[in-house]
Amino acid sequence: MAGLVVAFAPFPVHPITPQERAFRIEARQFAYSPSELKVNLGDTITLEFVSTDVVHGLYVDGYDISVESDPGQTKTLSFVADKPGSFRFRCNVTCGAMHPFMIGNLSVGQNEWFYRSIGLAIIATLGNIGYLMFSPRPTLITDY
Amino acid sequence: MELTRLPFLKSALKSRYPQLAVFIVMLVGYVFAILAGLIGTPVGSHNFSIVFVWIAWWAILILVAVPFFGRGWCAVCPIPLPGEWLQRGAVLNPPDKKPKWLNLRWPKALRNIWLQNISFLLLALFSSVLLTMPNITAIVLAAMLFAAIGLSTICERRSFCRYLCPVGGFIGLYSQTAPIELRIKDKQVCVTCEGKPCYNGSQAGYGCPWDVFPGGLTKNTYCGLCMECIRTCPHDNIAINLRAFSADLAKPSTRIDEAFKAFIMLGSAMIYAGVLLGPWGALKDAAYNVGTSAWFIYATIFLAIIFAILPGFFWLMISLTSRPSPIRRGVGVRAFASLATTLIPLGLMFWVAFSLSFVLTNASYIIASLSDPLGLGWNLFGTANAAWQPMLTSILAPAQMLALVGGLIWSARTAQKAANEVKVSSVPIVIYCFITTLAMLWLLL
Amino acid sequence: MKRSELLSRIFIMVAVLGAVGAPLFVWARTSLIHAKIAEDGGWNPDVIQANAGEPLHLKLTSDDVVHGFAVGQMDMQSVDVLPGKVSNVTLTFDRPGIYTFFCTRWCGLNHWRMRGTIEVGGSPSDPQSVSVPLYISLNLDIDAPHDSPVVPESKPSAIRGYELAANSPILQSLNYYRANSPYQVFDELSSTSLTESQRWDEVAHLWQSNTTRESLTNGQQLYAQNCAACHGENGAGNGVFADDLAAAGELSMQTMAGTDNMTMQTPVDFTNPTRMLGASPALLQGKILRGGMGTGMPMWGSIFTEEQIWDLIAYLYSFQFNYHRGESQ
Repeated sequence: MAGLVVAFAPFPVHPITPQERAFRIEARQFAYSPSELKVNLGDTITLEFVSTDVVHGLYVDGYDISVESDPGQTKTLSFVADKPGSFRFRCNVTCGAMHPFMIGNLSVGQNEWFYRSIGLAIIATLGNIGYLMFSPRPTLITDY
Repeated sequence: MELTRLPFLKSALKSRYPQLAVFIVMLVGYVFAILAGLIGTPVGSHNFSIVFVWIAWWAILILVAVPFFGRGWCAVCPIPLPGEWLQRGAVLNPPDKKPKWLNLRWPKALRNIWLQNISFLLLALFSSVLLTMPNITAIVLAAMLFAAIGLSTICERRSFCRYLCPVGGFIGLYSQTAPIELRIKDKQVCVTCEGKPCYNGSQAGYGCPWDVFPGGLTKNTYCGLCMECIRTCPHDNIAINLRAFSADLAKPSTRIDEAFKAFIMLGSAMIYAGVLLGPWGALKDAAYNVGTSAWFIYATIFLAIIFAILPGFFWLMISLTSRPSPIRRGVGVRAFASLATTLIPLGLMFWVAFSLSFVLTNASYIIASLSDPLGLGWNLFGTANAAWQPMLTSILAPAQMLALVGGLIWSARTAQKAANEVKVSSVPIVIYCFITTLAMLWLLL
Repeated sequence: MKRSELLSRIFIMVAVLGAVGAPLFVWARTSLIHAKIAEDGGWNPDVIQANAGEPLHLKLTSDDVVHGFAVGQMDMQSVDVLPGKVSNVTLTFDRPGIYTFFCTRWCGLNHWRMRGTIEVGGSPSDPQSVSVPLYISLNLDIDAPHDSPVVPESKPSAIRGYELAANSPILQSLNYYRANSPYQVFDELSSTSLTESQRWDEVAHLWQSNTTRESLTNGQQLYAQNCAACHGENGAGNGVFADDLAAAGELSMQTMAGTDNMTMQTPVDFTNPTRMLGASPALLQGKILRGGMGTGMPMWGSIFTEEQIWDLIAYLYSFQFNYHRGESQ
């Protein structure tokens, strides 16, 4: 029961006024700088994206939007962060060997899935321990 | 439930032709992957070698084959085939005149999975290069093939598969969680059986290539599901059964090499999640630039996590389990190993969760690679220009959550059984699993 | 041996050999031009043979990052050369000669060195006359320092200059514009009664009247694609490669002012009035054509047409003057 509650209950939302946020992200083989962004739910994000060595892209998981930049030519990507959670952004223009692992992270509001998972993991662990403590089988710590 | 009671299945498994057909497809694919890696485009995402080995094959292996069929991949793997056909002198039934190869017994001191632990770690330390460069993948595939052929001419049976293959090491360990098994039906039949053709071979087939006595099989770990014993048993005493998941873990193994395999898999899943899927560019640079001092530091930390930190922390938790602790009661190593079997379902789920991420992200490359496997501009099936597009991204986070929490629950139950055997409490072990699961959740989600 | 065994063996051999042989055969007969970053060898092959009047079919692929392909001084759209994919280009050359092909998408510090040649044979028709670049016929030493002794206090306005020129006319010919630096024109106006600021405004007007909207747009695009990576998106000499150029070694960033006198340079700051206002369009053309002789400045002679270079130069001066487009830069 507790598991279902944790898994499906809506998240308490702290209403924060959405802001306009601007970030400048530089891309190189094979990382973004900065590689971790944090915004609030509902913020309007403007990314100024520029490559510094070869052509790179920036694709945001979950939002399915992207932008591409040649070195020295800044391109802009604007969107509203209307989905909460933790989203990886990754390069979508083949840029060398480690291209599939060129990844950054966009954190919008609260990372709901992560908290739900922790909740479920805690319930599972406590449930398991509780079962062990209160079951009649001799598995208690003090028995040996 | 005995699956081989279904006549269709039984005859399909006993006949050599269906298996041979699958073998040929796999062997052709394998050899083509080597060719593609060597002469095709050096761009990994557009080369059959990388796309079909590290995305397609890996996805099927870790998401389907291992959890549901245990060593099912070993049943169709092409690596031992050329060597074995040479060794046997035939592709189908045993020939009248068998060729004389050396057929040496594998050395006793190496009859464990330590070599497989090492071979897996070698691949893992070089994984950033292996997963991204087609020529490196091709060389590794070719090396495994030639090693297997070479060993077949020197040693008996499938020595490469049983003692060297990096994949076989962890598939074997994780096959204990699978819901199918190959076992004898009636022990008494084996007791009175003359000649034991399941192990020694007969005119109907060959002795177990995995050096296992089917009559004594109680776990999946070392049975490669090759079906030879089903063909050779004159008493029809061998069956494939459907059973509960992880039934083998009810009698946990006390082998320390297997225990360390569990730590190797657990640790490497976590390290890969951090290095490959995390936002930390410096880690990726260190992992990729093999030979630099950064890489040596990375490799040292990698090995430290696997051989010191994870097992050390586990050891610490066990010593909290009871007074006097099993360590002080003198059954330390075996107790440690049997308790470490707890980590088998956990590690499997860690790998499932990790793999889901990069497979769903990059599976679209498979579609394009089918049409232009070498990156030469072909368009065999018209899909060569299929765009890269991550798939099913909305289900990824919940799927990973289910896998990891499910793995935690599964391991907790396994911990109970293992702890019962050694007569300690499983609570600290469950807490260990909880903490590592939290870490993996944080890394992936 | 039994027939089933024999047939199985044959089947296996055919399948495996076919899987290896067929692709190998097709691969050996495919001629691709491979693009790699300059540090790894650039174009391979980098010399292509062709004949005048015959279409040349090229297949290009990249072995690492995104590249592009175009032929210098030919009116063609550049073609992207993508990693792991093959691009097809068909070219036809009217006249024999040696043409330069080059990479059109920045692929690292040495992107501009990624060039090759197409040797087009055929009987030479009327020899094409080549005009001597202006800086040579003017005998300009384009390596000599050309700082302007005087700079305006604020950005000169071409509109004001236009209004002033109604009463105080100024020579507007193209040749005058090209052969003189803004400072020289400013200096020649000293014989008038205009204030310094007014004189700069008239200079701006002269520059603007030799500039069309189209040339500015063209120039801006050429600048973004070819120059911004080193010289900065806003012309300030702080492009994404500026630091790498310095780090790549002093040798790539030094000029020779005198035989033994090596001095460090960074990519030129086009917003700097001292340097820009002392440079004539002819001098800038020389620099662009010939390159930096020891600095990381590429030579564009075989790549840009003359018109493209004048357009680019027109854009460079727009960092110094407010033109009547209404944008202040």
